[in-house]
Amino acid sequence: MEFNRVVGTRRSIRFFKSWRPVEREKLQVMFEAANRASRSMNADYFRAIVVNRDDLDAETRDALRNPTTTADLDLAPTYIFWYIDMNYVEGAQDRLKALVDQNALSAAHGWSRAYVDDFLWPQVLEPISKDMSAVLFMGAVETGIAICNALNAAVDQGLGTCMHAFTANETMKSLLGVPDTWFPVWLQLVGYPAEEPEAGGQRPRNPISTLFFEGHTSRPFEEDPEVTERLKREGMLQTPGPFPYRAQEVKMLSRMYGLPE
Amino acid sequence: MSGAAHSDGDRAGAAGTGNGEPGEAGSTAVTGLADAMAGFAAAPSVRRWLGRSGDAVATAERTADLEMLQRFCASIDTDPDELVAQCLRSTKSGTTAISAVGRRKTDEAITAFVASEGATGRDSIVLANKLRGFLIHNGIFMQGSAAID
Repeated sequence: MEFNRVVGTRRSIRFFKSWRPVEREKLQVMFEAANRASRSMNADYFRAIVVNRDDLDAETRDALRNPTTTADLDLAPTYIFWYIDMNYVEGAQDRLKALVDQNALSAAHGWSRAYVDDFLWPQVLEPISKDMSAVLFMGAVETGIAICNALNAAVDQGLGTCMHAFTANETMKSLLGVPDTWFPVWLQLVGYPAEEPEAGGQRPRNPISTLFFEGHTSRPFEEDPEVTERLKREGMLQTPGPFPYRAQEVKMLSRMYGLPE
Repeated sequence: MSGAAHSDGDRAGAAGTGNGEPGEAGSTAVTGLADAMAGFAAAPSVRRWLGRSGDAVATAERTADLEMLQRFCASIDTDPDELVAQCLRSTKSGTTAISAVGRRKTDEAITAFVASEGATGRDSIVLANKLRGFLIHNGIFMQGSAAID
């Protein structure tokens, strides 16, 4: 699928084909995409554990349930537990010097091994590593970027996915061997959509002119209609929901799975 | 994050304030039932529930659902409006919020009731979710299991 169509087709999928497992190779693609994501300090901010729903015993699955995420856990065959590794700053000094050696960070932009050793590490990064609010903030942002790559990689492969808050952290920590330094972020549910991939149509979004500005907040970034039309052709901008049959689609899926209507 | 942003808990709309509420669109199918189960079906929370599903549900099914809700309410000695109220609480700032404790207790009561009805397997999931549907359409965010076997 072309990139623009992948971005335009992504939805929070909540009805999965409960019977169809996700191929391991597709998970590998998702993880490689996440691993290619932009990251400051070239640090490994995130950790993720993939679990097959059917490998969890009933007690563990029940522990994961909460009032807002229950049916989803039944329907999705694959769970990915995302964490921030709060120790991500460790090794930053060596990683940054390696980037200097590769000329990824070069003198052209002010970088040197001496800058990393004498200033950046002792005066900036090491203090940051001791400031938990900063560690959490950076970790959340950078882990989110990685997750976004994984989301889009899932869509590109015909999968459906949705992010959920996850509870039962202590249960999962024990079951999955999660270290104390990992901070839970999101539970990503993955599977093949039982609903149409469009899930009733593209979700409403405010115009970019309300969100983006040129030079000053008083000057909205106005759309070029020709670009907008191209994005429609290329699938980033799709038919807005709800499709006329969406209510019926949800009703039939709900009946298939015995869910509330 | 699902649920966290759910904001349909304002009970002021329970009697119908527009947007397809009972008394407006979808109310005709309720009329026959109201005759049969006048007091029960006239409760604002019940009207809201039935109104939300419009005309898509057959009358026979509606009747069965109503009767089940009535039996459930009787089993825990409450009425529909009170059942919804039990899942709510008042905050210090005076707003109404979903009560985690009330919701959990109600969910447990639903599970127990369905078992007492003799339902098992898929039937138990479907029946429990029908009762949850009543609460959901009255603003109580909750989910039950899905029938996947």
